[in-house]
Amino acid sequence: MSSAEFAQIAVNAILLSGILALVALGFSLVWGIMNIVNLAHGAFVVLGAYFTFYLNELAGVDPFVSIPLSMVTLFIIGFIVQRVLINQVVRAPLLATFLLTFGLEILIVNLVNYFFKADLRSVTTRYSGTGWTVGVVRVPYIRLAALGIALVLVALTAWFLRATRQGRAIRATGMDIDAARLTGVKVGTIYSLTYAIGAALAGAAGSLLSMIVPFDPNIGGPYTQRAFVISVLGGLGEVANVVLGALLYAFVDVFVGARLPELSQAFTFAALVILLVLRPEGIAGKKFYA
Amino acid sequence: MPERKLSRRQVIAAASILVLLVALLFVPKFRSEYELLNYTRFLILALMAQGWNLIGGYTGYAAFGNVAFFGIGAYTTGLLMISKWAVPFFPAMFCGAILAALVAVVIGLPVLRLKGHYFAIATLGVAEATREIADTWDSVTQGSTGIDLPVRSEGEFFYYSALALVVLGVIATALLVRSKLGYAWVAIREDQDAARMLGINTTPLKVLAFALSAVFAALAGGLTAYQNIHVTPGDFFKLEYTLQMIIATIIGGTGTIFGPVLGAGVYQLLSTYVWTKFIELHPTVLGLIIIFFIIFAPRGLMSLVSEGLKVVRGQKRFRWQGLLANVRAHRVT
Amino acid sequence: MKQFAGCAALAIVAAFAVPLANPLPASAADTIVLGAAISITGKTAKEGEYTRDGYQFAIDTLNQNGGIKVGGKSYQLQLKYYDDETKSERTAQLFEKLVNEDKVNFLLGPYASAPTGTAAPIAEKYKIPMVEANGSAESIFTKGYKYSFMVLSPAKLYLRGIIDVVRKKDPSAKTVAILGENEPFSKEVAQGVAEYAKQLGMNVVYHELYPSNTQDVSSLLTNVKAKNPDIVLGAGHLQDSLLIVKQAKDLGVSPRAMGFSVGPSSPEFRANLKQDADYLFGATQWTSALKYVGEDVWKTPEAYAKAFKAKYPKYGVIPYQVAESSAAVIVYQKALEKAGTLDPKKVRDVIAALDFTSFYGQIKFDSRGVNIYKPMAVEQLQPDGNKYTVYPTEVAEKEALYPMPPWNRRASR
Repeated sequence: MSSAEFAQIAVNAILLSGILALVALGFSLVWGIMNIVNLAHGAFVVLGAYFTFYLNELAGVDPFVSIPLSMVTLFIIGFIVQRVLINQVVRAPLLATFLLTFGLEILIVNLVNYFFKADLRSVTTRYSGTGWTVGVVRVPYIRLAALGIALVLVALTAWFLRATRQGRAIRATGMDIDAARLTGVKVGTIYSLTYAIGAALAGAAGSLLSMIVPFDPNIGGPYTQRAFVISVLGGLGEVANVVLGALLYAFVDVFVGARLPELSQAFTFAALVILLVLRPEGIAGKKFYA
Repeated sequence: MPERKLSRRQVIAAASILVLLVALLFVPKFRSEYELLNYTRFLILALMAQGWNLIGGYTGYAAFGNVAFFGIGAYTTGLLMISKWAVPFFPAMFCGAILAALVAVVIGLPVLRLKGHYFAIATLGVAEATREIADTWDSVTQGSTGIDLPVRSEGEFFYYSALALVVLGVIATALLVRSKLGYAWVAIREDQDAARMLGINTTPLKVLAFALSAVFAALAGGLTAYQNIHVTPGDFFKLEYTLQMIIATIIGGTGTIFGPVLGAGVYQLLSTYVWTKFIELHPTVLGLIIIFFIIFAPRGLMSLVSEGLKVVRGQKRFRWQGLLANVRAHRVT
Repeated sequence: MKQFAGCAALAIVAAFAVPLANPLPASAADTIVLGAAISITGKTAKEGEYTRDGYQFAIDTLNQNGGIKVGGKSYQLQLKYYDDETKSERTAQLFEKLVNEDKVNFLLGPYASAPTGTAAPIAEKYKIPMVEANGSAESIFTKGYKYSFMVLSPAKLYLRGIIDVVRKKDPSAKTVAILGENEPFSKEVAQGVAEYAKQLGMNVVYHELYPSNTQDVSSLLTNVKAKNPDIVLGAGHLQDSLLIVKQAKDLGVSPRAMGFSVGPSSPEFRANLKQDADYLFGATQWTSALKYVGEDVWKTPEAYAKAFKAKYPKYGVIPYQVAESSAAVIVYQKALEKAGTLDPKKVRDVIAALDFTSFYGQIKFDSRGVNIYKPMAVEQLQPDGNKYTVYPTEVAEKEALYPMPPWNRRASR
C-alpha cells in the first residue's frame, strides 16, 4: 500500500466515522439509559433518509436545510412510539424489548416499502461529488460537511446531557431509576424523551446518508448492526466514547475492506469478540451514562 | 397434593401426548404434499427452538448466533454427501452435528465468559464471521455459488425424520432439565454468582448447554439442506433463522419443555397464513403479531395454557385484566 | 406434568382444525397456469416488479390474441405468483406450493440467480419445466438439471461487449479494474470479463469481490485509483453500481471508460445520478433499438416497446428485465403449440429442441439449457440525457463517446 493510498484510506475512515458515530449515539443512549437494544433504530435512519429525499424532490429543500426538520419529525415519531408501545414493557427482560423493537422494525420497513416503493433513491445536488484535493488526498465536500454536522450534533448531545436539567434527569434515570423517581423525576417522560432523542439522531444520520449512499427501505438493518457493535466498543458510558468506538470501527472496517473486502465483517467481529473477552466493558467504558 | 389425583393427571397427560403423537404420525395421510412441507418446516423450526431453549431459556444466555451451527450442519451434511465418499444422509447429518458441537465448545469457552447484551453481540458476530468464511472459502464451500445436494423428493421422508428428531428432542430436554445438570443451568440463569458459590463449576456446564443447542441447530440445518437441495451461505447463515428460533421459543414459553414446539407451530402457522392472505403487507402483520405477543403474553403460550387450565378446573376465575398483568408489571409512568 | 394435557390438546387443534394454508380452487379446464415466485418486497423488489410486469404483459397480450392453441384446443394463460421477499428459502417454499398446491402447469423463474439456483432443483424434483429469464449464472446449469431453461445470455458474456466497444475506439486501452459483488451471478460476470480481457492481451490490474449489501466501496476505489486503469468495470446490482459511481466521483477516480453489468439500463440509474450518469456503459440483454425480426406477436423490439408502454405508461424506458420475462412466456407459447399436449415431460423435450427468433432475439438452448446463441448488447448514457445502444455495431444507434471526461473537467449544468 503506497503512502498516498494509505492517506486516502485513513481519510475515508475518518469521514465514515462521523456518520457512524451519529447513528450509534442515539442507539447507545437508548441502550444505556433504558436498557433497550433498539432494533428499530435502523428503521428511523431510513425514515430520516426518505424525509430528506421527499423534501428535496417535492419542495426543492436543500438536504442540509432539511436535517433539523427531519430531526423534529423523528423526535415526534420516537416520542409517540415509546409512549404507546415500548413504555408498556420497558422494564421487561432484555429479550422482550429486543423482540418488540424487532417487530417494530419489520413493520416500519414494510410500510415504507409499501408507501414509497422499493426504488433506489439518492439525493443528488449541484455540489454532489465536488471536493477538495489536498496533495494526493481527496476530501468530498458532502462527506466533510456530514462529518462536521455529526460532530456538532454529538457535541450538542453531550452538552445537553451534562448541562441541562432534562439532560441531568436522563442521566440520573440511567444510573438509578428508583432514586431518580424519588427525587421527583417523571421517569416515563424521561424515557420518552430519551427514545425521541435517539430517533432524532437517527433521523439526522438518515438525512446525511441520503446524500452519500443510494438507499431503499432495506438499508437500515446494517446500520443497526453497526450501531450495536460501536456501542459495545465504546462502552455505554460517555458520549465521547461513542465517537472513539465509531472511529475504531471505521478504521478496522475500511482498512480490512481495502485488503480483504470479502472478509471485512469477519475481521471486525473477530476484533470485537477478542476485545470483549479481554475487556467486557468496552474500550473505555463504564456501565451507564453517568 | 394427594397421590391419587396426581396420577390421574399423569394418565390424562400421557394419553393426550400419545393421541398427539399418533395424530402427527398420520398427518402425511391426510395432508397434501405442500402442507406436509409446511408441517416439516414447523418441526424443523421446533428442533432449532428446542436447542435455543437450552442455552437461551434454561441457562439464560441470549445466544444470537445459533444460525452458525445451522449453517455448519447444512454444509457438513451437503459436502459429505456430494464428496467422493458419497456419505449417506444420516451419517453425514450426524457428522455435521458433531462438528457443530466442537465449534460451539471452541467458541463457547471464551464467549460464554460474557454476559447479557455482550454475549448476544459476540455470538451474532460469530455467526456473521462464519457466513463470510463460507462465502469466501471457494475451494471447500464453492463460495457464494453454493452447493447442490442429491435430489430426494419424498416429502414423507423429511417429515418423519423431523418428527423423530423433535420427539427425541422433547425426551432429551425432559430428561436433561430434570437432572442435576438442568437444575444447575437454572441456577446459573437465576444467579450465576450464587451458583458458583454453591460449588457449581459453571463454565463447563454453560459450554455443554451451548454445544447441545448447536447439535439441535446442526441437525435442523442438515435436514433443511437435504430438503432444499440448493445450499448457499446467504441462505443458510442468515440472522432470520436465529430470530425465528428465538421468537418461536418466546411465543411458546422459554424454559419449558413443550414451549419451543408449541411456539414453532403457532409461529409457522401464523406466518404462513398471514403470508398467503396479505401479499404485500405480510411483514407488517407479522410485526404486529410479534408486538402483540410481547406486550400481552411475554411469558409465552405455555403459561397461558397453565393459567387456562386453572380456570377450567375452577381453581381461578378468568379476568380480562389478567392480560394486562405484564403491562402493569413492566410499564413506567 | 399438568401442563401437558392442555398443551397437547392445543397442538392437536393446531395440527388439524386449522390447515396451514387454504387450498385454492383448481384452475378451470381451459386455462394454463404459469407459476412463479417473484421478489415483490426486499432487496430486489424493483427488479421483481419488472419481472412480474413482463410476465403479465406477455400473458395478457397472448390472451387478447385468442390465447394459445394446444392440440386443436384454445387455452387462456394465467399467471400465478407469490412474493418471495428476496429470500431464497421462501423461493423454495413457494415453488413447492405452486407445484403441489396450486397445481400450476408450468413454472417461470424468480428474479436473480441466487433464487433461481434454489428453484431449479425443485423443478427437477417434480419434473416440471421451468423457463427462467432472470438468473444468468451458469453455475445453475452445470448440475445436470434437465427441466430448467434460461432465455438469457449467460453471465460471463455480460461485460465483454464493453471491452469490445472500448478496444474498437482505442486499441491502446490496456488495463482493466474489476469490482464484483460476491454472489453467484456477479462472480461469474467478473470472472468472465477478466478471462476475456486476458485473452485479448489486456492487463487486469485489479479484481476483487466485495460482500453483498455493501454500503461503502471507497477503500476498494482507493486501491483502484492507485492502479490508474483505463477501464473500470462493476459487476454487481443496481445499488452497487450507483454506489461505485458516486464514490468514484467523490474520490476522483476517472478512468477512460466505466461500465456496469446491472444498473445503467434501469431508469433509476439516471434518476439517481442525473448528469453523473453520462458516458457510462451498461450491459444489457435487450434494448428496443435492436433490429430483430421475430416470429411472435410483437415481432420487433420496437413494436414490443410501443405495446408495452401503451399498457404500462409509468415506464419511461423499458428495462430489459421486462422483455426477457416476456420472452420466457413466449417460449411456452411456442413449445406448447408445437407439442400439442400439456404433458410436462413432452413439453420439456420440445423446449429443449426449440430454435426460433423472437422480438428478444434468437432463442435456442444448448445441452445444459442455456441460451448461448443470443448476443449481449451495450448501452451508453450520453450527455443529451438519453441512452443509446452502441453495440453490437451493426445495430448501434449512435457512436460511443470515448474517453469519458474526468469528473472535475465536466461543465456543470
